[in-house]
Amino acid sequence: MRKRAMGAAAHLAALSALAVAVTACGGGGDKAAPSAAPTGSSGATAPAAQGGKLVIWADPNRVKALKPFAEQFGTDNGVTVEVKEISKDNQQVFLTASQQGSGPDIMVGAHDWIGNLVQNGAIDPVNLTEEQKAAFPEIAMKAVTFNGQVYAAPYAVENIALIRNTDLAPDAPATIEDLVAKGKALKEAGKVKEVLCLPVAQKGDAFHVYPIFASGGGALFGATSTGDPDPKKVLVGSADSVKAFDRLKELGEKGEGALKTSITNENYIATFAAKKCAFLISGPWAMGDVKKGGFPYDITPVPSFKGGKPATPFVGVQSFFVAAKGKNKALAQEFVANYVTNKDVAKALYAADPRPPALTAALQEVQAADADAGKFMEAGKNGFPMPAIPEMAAIWEPFGIAEAAVVKGGDPAKSAEAAQKAIDSSIKN
Amino acid sequence: MKLALRHGFVLLMCVFALVPILFVVSAAINPLGTLASTDLVPHGASLGNFADLFSNDRYPFARWFLNSVFIALAASFASLLLSMMAAYAFSRMRFRGRRVGLLALLLIQMFPQFLAIVTIFMIFTRVTELYPAIGFDTVWGLLLLYLGGALGANTWLMKGFLDTVPKELDEAATVDGATHAQIFWRVILPLVTPILAVTGLLAFIGIMSEFIMASVFLRDPESKTLAVGMFGMIAGDQRNANFGMFAAGTLITAIPTVGVFLWLQKFIVSGLTAGAVKG
Amino acid sequence: MAHDAHAAADTRRGPRPRREVTTAFVVSRVAVLAVAAALLLYAAPPLVADGSWVSLTLLCAASAGIAYLYLTRRFVPAKYLIPGTVCLLAFQVFPVLYTVSTAFTNFGDGHRGDKQAAVSAIETGSVRQAPGSPEYALTAALRDGELVFLLVDPKTKQVQAGSGQGLAPVTGAQVGVTGKVLRAPGFTVLKAPEAAARGQEISKLAVPTSGGVIKANGLSRAVEGRAALVYDAACDCVNGEGGPWKADEARGYFVNARGDHLAQGWQVNVGFGNFTRVLTDPTISGYFLGVFGWNLVFALASAGGTFVLGMAVALALHHPRMRGTKIYRIALILPYAMPSFAMLLVWRDMFNRDFGLINQLFGTNVDWLGQSGTARAAVILVNLWLGFPYMFLVTTGALQAIPRELTEAASIDGASPWYGFRKVTLPLLLVALTPLLISSFAFNFNNFNAIQLTSEGGPFPAESPQVGATDLLITYTFRLAFGAGGAQFGFAAAISVFIFALVAVISAVAFRRTRKQEEVYA
Repeated sequence: MRKRAMGAAAHLAALSALAVAVTACGGGGDKAAPSAAPTGSSGATAPAAQGGKLVIWADPNRVKALKPFAEQFGTDNGVTVEVKEISKDNQQVFLTASQQGSGPDIMVGAHDWIGNLVQNGAIDPVNLTEEQKAAFPEIAMKAVTFNGQVYAAPYAVENIALIRNTDLAPDAPATIEDLVAKGKALKEAGKVKEVLCLPVAQKGDAFHVYPIFASGGGALFGATSTGDPDPKKVLVGSADSVKAFDRLKELGEKGEGALKTSITNENYIATFAAKKCAFLISGPWAMGDVKKGGFPYDITPVPSFKGGKPATPFVGVQSFFVAAKGKNKALAQEFVANYVTNKDVAKALYAADPRPPALTAALQEVQAADADAGKFMEAGKNGFPMPAIPEMAAIWEPFGIAEAAVVKGGDPAKSAEAAQKAIDSSIKN
Repeated sequence: MKLALRHGFVLLMCVFALVPILFVVSAAINPLGTLASTDLVPHGASLGNFADLFSNDRYPFARWFLNSVFIALAASFASLLLSMMAAYAFSRMRFRGRRVGLLALLLIQMFPQFLAIVTIFMIFTRVTELYPAIGFDTVWGLLLLYLGGALGANTWLMKGFLDTVPKELDEAATVDGATHAQIFWRVILPLVTPILAVTGLLAFIGIMSEFIMASVFLRDPESKTLAVGMFGMIAGDQRNANFGMFAAGTLITAIPTVGVFLWLQKFIVSGLTAGAVKG
Repeated sequence: MAHDAHAAADTRRGPRPRREVTTAFVVSRVAVLAVAAALLLYAAPPLVADGSWVSLTLLCAASAGIAYLYLTRRFVPAKYLIPGTVCLLAFQVFPVLYTVSTAFTNFGDGHRGDKQAAVSAIETGSVRQAPGSPEYALTAALRDGELVFLLVDPKTKQVQAGSGQGLAPVTGAQVGVTGKVLRAPGFTVLKAPEAAARGQEISKLAVPTSGGVIKANGLSRAVEGRAALVYDAACDCVNGEGGPWKADEARGYFVNARGDHLAQGWQVNVGFGNFTRVLTDPTISGYFLGVFGWNLVFALASAGGTFVLGMAVALALHHPRMRGTKIYRIALILPYAMPSFAMLLVWRDMFNRDFGLINQLFGTNVDWLGQSGTARAAVILVNLWLGFPYMFLVTTGALQAIPRELTEAASIDGASPWYGFRKVTLPLLLVALTPLLISSFAFNFNNFNAIQLTSEGGPFPAESPQVGATDLLITYTFRLAFGAGGAQFGFAAAISVFIFALVAVISAVAFRRTRKQEEVYA
């Protein structure tokens, strides 16, 4: 008994000493970091000697789908390819890691990151041939172009559309007014509980409400001479936007009851899938749950107000970026420009996560088996690529708060003005 | 009668504690598992979500589970040791800087640590270059990182507890010729079993649910911990799609904690101290 | 752990303590030397290979320090404190110091790197394909051991060799269907893996032409391009489109005559700029008092409330004749055993007006998170739920330390249980728990997640979208710092310093009181 106790004690002492030892070198390492900075280039050349390694970072949904293709690319080129999974704050983690020299060679993300990634010098332009560019729809190429340069290879295009339960609402509504009238009629008849499933939540949801806002005549930014959004002309508080906010108010809790703060990102799809509302405004990511609902449905563009402007949804483009501080840029360029622009890769990514492929050829093949993809693409045809300028980050929150305020019955002019002021002051800094 | 009052109060608190969890249970056994179901009683019950967790090929849930348990056990054990040692010094010895050290320990925890990620990348980029074995993508690096938080509140908790253990005990041992190490291992540690158990459990729970550091450290799907993996399940617009599985996973996450608690419970309430004080 | 402790306790009554000292002494000293040596052997070679002599010196000093510290009989407190402290310094103190140091810079999105990195990003980003130039098919090859590009014009099928000196025609080359060169006299064509291994060389090689340079684009294509923006060290400016762009060292940007700046900036020292901004920004100063008041209420209610609830349950269960304590305890720690981010989301949905469980259970129709008063009550309630099991566990542990004799003595004296609790149990509990209460207060004062994942600071009045009813100082100032155009870490760091000062002062005052208690009871 005594012996065992002593053995344990000695063992613990050794363990604790080891802990010190190990932390000591952790501490030593960090102190050494600044002194090593000037000779940083020697560190960068070291891995090449090991025979090439390509590191890709993606979000959890895409890692599995990418792996076989990454491995294939590795075998073809005699390199090892690692696909790593980042689950939280991907953009910020990528920027921080890149800056410190632990970043990947290739990053997978949404096109609206481009502005911020570029201002941090984190990505390099991707050079696509005319032929490659032509294989994508115009809107996808427009989305990944920033300051006249193509910064990413697109692989999926996503936008929201109107999904309706055709048991409840057999005909696609031509206008928002028709949609609301039909929704209200169904609600009064006790067939549904909600007029429209569109997430608003307590803080608003600019992404989902944007088509309706645009149809009401509202705008976020003015345009530069080249047609890009101009951060110097924020239009959220403009007279036209106030009118659009007024339309949202009419649809809100004190009006038609179509927009409600109690409908949130967590419940809007599920409510539709449970047949508690006939209309859903959402994107391809909703389809898994919608199908579980087991009723016939159809996908059409979001309708516009009667006599209003077109209801243009935001279009997001999922893309591959080449990291500027990657250790193996030639391979990364090869992978992004010449390998993932390949039809089979696009189809496999679609199979893993059904978002319409950006490549026209892949979309056509996918469409044959799954009509939804084509319908979503059709609904986004006249969409508005989500602005990639860094200033867009200043819009979301104030806009959403203004939206939630008018939906609750607040004054549109005051809300829009306050949002404009908040956006202006944060962009100025 | 008074006992009944105690039961009544505790039952009430149990209801408070359990209602949100019942809601998660309901979502977990609801085939169309979503956050939206308004009722505690699910529409149709099945264990499909639990089965999915262990059989789907996208999320290696069983691996996450093992990773988490291993990391939490190892890190909580090591940090328990470190903080116990520090608490012993702070409680039993008088040295220069003691008061300042204690205060500093308390204050350092109060600084908003939002830039920690940047410094973690600074430190471990270098460490990974030099010592890949304790760098990024390794469990050892993560364990090391967790030890950084070992002293924090745990030291205070244990020091406060040690202060209530009579000093006469170690003085008597010193008279018997025991060294400080012997007093630490043989007199103090046995006396503070309840608080060791409590602190160990707290450390275990803390590490089980930590995911900010773990998410930048462990990037292979197979090497993730439960908290990181589950966060990824509902990240972004996947929130609805996986909620049923997510709810099931949340419940399973609690199992190791409850297990550790059951194991430690007898130490927590053993009342060993009372006997020792008499002896 | 606890088991070892038991075993150790048994041996305490062993007959001859002296002999044990020597064995333990020898074993532990050998272990220390072994560990110090192992550390040196493991850690030194990579440092030597890397040429990091400073680190190596530090490492040797650390090993020697460890060996000395644990071999000598002096510095007893240090033996117990050093292991934890080293980790603390590396992973807690260093981040804090770094954060404070960034408060004096404009570190943030657009200003993460140094000027050199910004210049290189500007130049790379401005390279445009020369108009009308061919999109060459690229084959990497070696000529006399030197890397060259074999470039095939897809239209004319003409083959050229490109090197650092320029382009030269190649004759007799054999071109495959993909446009790649299969063979060429005088050149060794690199196979795919060989080319991949030389990836960095290939990225670096620039073939000068009359219109710009030809650079590889991946491993199989090359493009002739020209940088539209070029840095000139002589004028410290970037020439080209829209320029000249002069370096502005105060802002960390290249600025042109119209006042526009290039997107890529660099990190510069801004002195106390961030601090003055915290003090002068009208959106901060205008709302400060209101938010601070609510922040105090939130932190006090969370720390105090969880303590009272946790202690009350622990006391209720702390009774010799109490049955079912095991089951109760499990139920009570469950809220703490669940991942908190998940449970915060669940709570948020429970408060939903139309779909939430709470309105459903009570038959009400309250927009809980949509009105200031109810939203504040809701976030405090959620925080109580999340936090009380911690206090419950801690109090349960601490209660075991209070000798039953003391409480029994009080009850024998005929004092009421309440009196006994107030005069005996509570003061003893507070000795152990006051620091925890202080740190719980501090933690909740900055409890970003508890707000961000439930109310997100809302509800927001329509007139002031920047400050909501449940906003804490940290949530609303960070919204300003991370709102527009990415993260402004420098500004956020300055905010943190201010918030830290506030919390630290409050805590230090409370902490002074514990000194007295310690002297009384310890």
